[in-house]
Amino acid sequence: MTLPPNPESSSSLISPHALMSIRNLELRARVVVEGFWSGIHRSPYHGFSAEFTEYRAYTSGDDPRYLDWRVFARSDRYFIKKFEDETNLRCYLIADNSRSMTYGSTGYTKAEYARTLAATLSYFVYLQGDGVGLLTFDEDIREYLPARHRTGHLRNLMLALEKPASGKTTNLGAPLKRIAEIVRKRGLMVVLSDFLAPIEKLERELSALAACGHEIIVFQILDRAEVKFEFGEAAMFQDAESGKTLFLDPSMARKDYLRKLESHCAHLRSTCQRFGIALYRLTTDRPLELALFDFMRERMQRKRVLNRRVQQPRAAGANLQNAK
Amino acid sequence: MSFFAPLFLIGALAIAGPIVFHLIRRTTRERTIFSSLMFLQPTPPKLTRRSRLEHILLLIFRCAVLILFALAFARPFFKKPIVESSSSSGRRTIVLVDVSASMRRANLWADAREHAAAILRRASPGDQVALWTFDRKITPIVTFEEWNRAAINARAALALDRLATVSPGWASTRVGDAVLQAAEALGDSTGNSPKLPGQIILVTDLQEGSHAETLQGYEWPKGLELAVEILKPKRANNAALQLAGDTDEAGPRTNAAVRVRVTNAADSKKEQFKVSWMQPAGKALVDPPVQLYVPAGQSRIAAIAVPSAGTSNTTIAFNRLLLQGDDEDFDNTVFVIPPAQAKMSVLYLGNDSAADSKKPLYFLQRAFQETRRQEVKVQLASPGAPVAAAALDAATLLIATDGLSTESARSLHEQIAGGKTLLFALQNASAAAPLAAVLGIERVAVEDLKPASYAMLGEIDFRHPVFAPFADPRFSDFTKIHFWKYRHVDASTIPAARIIASFDSGDPALFEVPVGKGRVLVLTSGWQPEDSQLALSTKFVPLLYSLLEESGAPAPGVTQYRVGDVLPFSALAAPAAGTNALIVRGPDGSATRLTSAETNFSNATLPGIYTVEDPGGRKLAEFAVNLDESESRLIPLQLDEFEKLGAPLAHNSPSAVAQTATKIRLRNAELEQRQKLWRWVILATFALLLAETWLAGRTARTIVTQGAPSS
Repeated sequence: MTLPPNPESSSSLISPHALMSIRNLELRARVVVEGFWSGIHRSPYHGFSAEFTEYRAYTSGDDPRYLDWRVFARSDRYFIKKFEDETNLRCYLIADNSRSMTYGSTGYTKAEYARTLAATLSYFVYLQGDGVGLLTFDEDIREYLPARHRTGHLRNLMLALEKPASGKTTNLGAPLKRIAEIVRKRGLMVVLSDFLAPIEKLERELSALAACGHEIIVFQILDRAEVKFEFGEAAMFQDAESGKTLFLDPSMARKDYLRKLESHCAHLRSTCQRFGIALYRLTTDRPLELALFDFMRERMQRKRVLNRRVQQPRAAGANLQNAK
Repeated sequence: MSFFAPLFLIGALAIAGPIVFHLIRRTTRERTIFSSLMFLQPTPPKLTRRSRLEHILLLIFRCAVLILFALAFARPFFKKPIVESSSSSGRRTIVLVDVSASMRRANLWADAREHAAAILRRASPGDQVALWTFDRKITPIVTFEEWNRAAINARAALALDRLATVSPGWASTRVGDAVLQAAEALGDSTGNSPKLPGQIILVTDLQEGSHAETLQGYEWPKGLELAVEILKPKRANNAALQLAGDTDEAGPRTNAAVRVRVTNAADSKKEQFKVSWMQPAGKALVDPPVQLYVPAGQSRIAAIAVPSAGTSNTTIAFNRLLLQGDDEDFDNTVFVIPPAQAKMSVLYLGNDSAADSKKPLYFLQRAFQETRRQEVKVQLASPGAPVAAAALDAATLLIATDGLSTESARSLHEQIAGGKTLLFALQNASAAAPLAAVLGIERVAVEDLKPASYAMLGEIDFRHPVFAPFADPRFSDFTKIHFWKYRHVDASTIPAARIIASFDSGDPALFEVPVGKGRVLVLTSGWQPEDSQLALSTKFVPLLYSLLEESGAPAPGVTQYRVGDVLPFSALAAPAAGTNALIVRGPDGSATRLTSAETNFSNATLPGIYTVEDPGGRKLAEFAVNLDESESRLIPLQLDEFEKLGAPLAHNSPSAVAQTATKIRLRNAELEQRQKLWRWVILATFALLLAETWLAGRTARTIVTQGAPSS
């Protein structure tokens, strides 16, 4: 499988700025998902294998009974889907709704971006026929919706996502611990946060979550200004969560800030790697289709790994039988 | 515009604060919200060359507020010129310059003239100054009238010229009296119109013996102040030589030694001294001198032997003693004239023997002992016959006891009428006839009385000169003298009789009857033990001497005086000289002619030997004048001694300059109180503050950004 080209150069992707102008969160999610589907066929992602467990392009000889007509209606393309009852995926979206997510330099906040991404992922998963749940948090857990695939559940989820951010700090450990306690069966955990908090406090919970057998994908959402820190004039900088202020000359503070940020992100990366957690860093100016793409790719890779593990013992068993 | 508290204007420098803040904090009002500050550290604001002031108008407002605050606290006011009449300014000053003997020390007089010159020269045109010198008395050198009459620029010169003719004398210091006189002169408002504040400036060495105690309790005129300019001598080692003083009990005519006292000052560093008799030229008469050791702060009395006359024919007068060994010689000379012995006689008329211890004569003779100052001889005369006139003339006091014949009594009566005094001690009732004859009356009843136990003197007239010496309560108790017998005399039958003392029974004990120019004192009891305890009491001898003095006995010769003493005419020559004109020659050769119409000699201004001559040039007497002992007490008084005496010292009250400054300050305070410009300034400040607040809110609105980076 070849890696897709740099998505920023693609003109078929929807600009996040334009996307955010859509007020309705569900509509926003639909635009992204459908744009994603259309983009898969029109994008330069040629050669990209669509063989993933849930969908596959129709080829001659496939049983037309497995065609997904809804996808055809939207995209005029034939796709074979797997049986829905074969999915049984429980996807939990763990969304950071703290005040640090209310920062944004592009006209919209990280929280908006994360909300949109969460809505997109939940819509995508829901369309897959999988259950999707939600847990929002700041310093405490604010909203919790169990993973369901029922009528009206998606609507409730969107409503929960639309609640504004609050809280003075970010507590990543508590929601992870809570999810680990609640969700017994294996599922997919998608964490959406800026992770601007001490990483040491969530290592334990992440490891516990990973030890439960959950598949964890982490999306670290940062604003471009946070990543580049290209402020010019000295000013009183105020913390969005605590309200603490300090006088800062960006030209003097930038180097040190970037070093610390990089160190923090590296720490997060190494922590995720240690526990087999997929980490994707997104900036809020990145089209959400690419995030969805990363989500799908991650799922594809994981399936492939699982299949390989399953097939190797079978092949070993067959070889064993043949050998006998 | 002036300021009452100009120091507050320094607060205007606070405008540097807003200027600096406007430079370094031009962006700090902008607030940028960032997601998390966990990776950020504060950085200090920097002031670069490219820093520039922003919001100039706001800055101006803020600076103006600070400046106005400082102005308000400085309390501005507008000065108004005040016209003062030149005559209302100035002081009335009396400069008192000490010219006592202690000012003769090395540098003191020169310093005094310098100080006086400085004081006179700094007098302003409005000042009225009088220049006085003082020692025992005040001597005006320049009066207020003379000062005011002189041209303004010639006043100081006039006073200094007159002061140049003055030099210290030999008199003692009466600084208290001098200051009081000056205070009285300044307190007198006559000639002081408009009323000027008074000041006394004292230029003196203020030595311990200055007699400042007279200032105690004086009520000082209001507004008067006393400034003291103390002169300090360059040398401190001083010892003084003074006569130690003879007592009358000293042996008769013992001129073999003169007792002197050498007193060494407490701050003296010298202890070895010499005393010797000196000639006027300074040559020692006796060699070697008497060596004395006197530690600092102590005194020693020494008897300096008077050498016998030399073998030469010239008679050397040993009348000058000199002390050597200290630094100051003004008090090192003592002039000595031995006192002349006064000779008197008491004529006793009685039948008793001097050897009979039971009779009055025995006690009388023993009462009159010869001393250096006087010799009293008791002459005996027979009471039965008339006494020779010469003997009566020569006697100072006549005493009669018993055996006086009537004929003698009559002759006595004539003598007494001529001015003599007779003490008639009645021995028995038979003295009635002679008593009547002596008194010049027909008869007087005398009756012997013997009290049951004893009689005492019950009432005594201490105003009478005979008993005046006993007036002190310590000596006035006569009750211990018991009288076993006395004669009762009805004094009321005797014309002009005055009872001086009476017994407790009321009978007269001693009464006086004037007879012509003289008088008769009748003692109704005898003093011998047979009659009373009078002769055995301690009061007998002084009573006799009192009688003697009342009889016109010459006073013991006083030959030692102090500079400045006023000598009565009668003390200069014995009345027996019979002269009514005298010439007194001083040690400098000056002659002062005195007649009896002038009662006193007041020219004893120099220490030395003065001689008294009659107009024919015959020397009648000599006396010595020495320095007052108090002038040798040279340790300066502390100024707080004056304060303790209640003097308003100038260092407690502000100088003229300070007073002028105070007056100006008070005037400024009054102007500022009336104008109250600070209120308007505060109002303007508040108005500016409101404007600044509005402008700050409008233009300096806090910019809270979402952290949009500049690039």
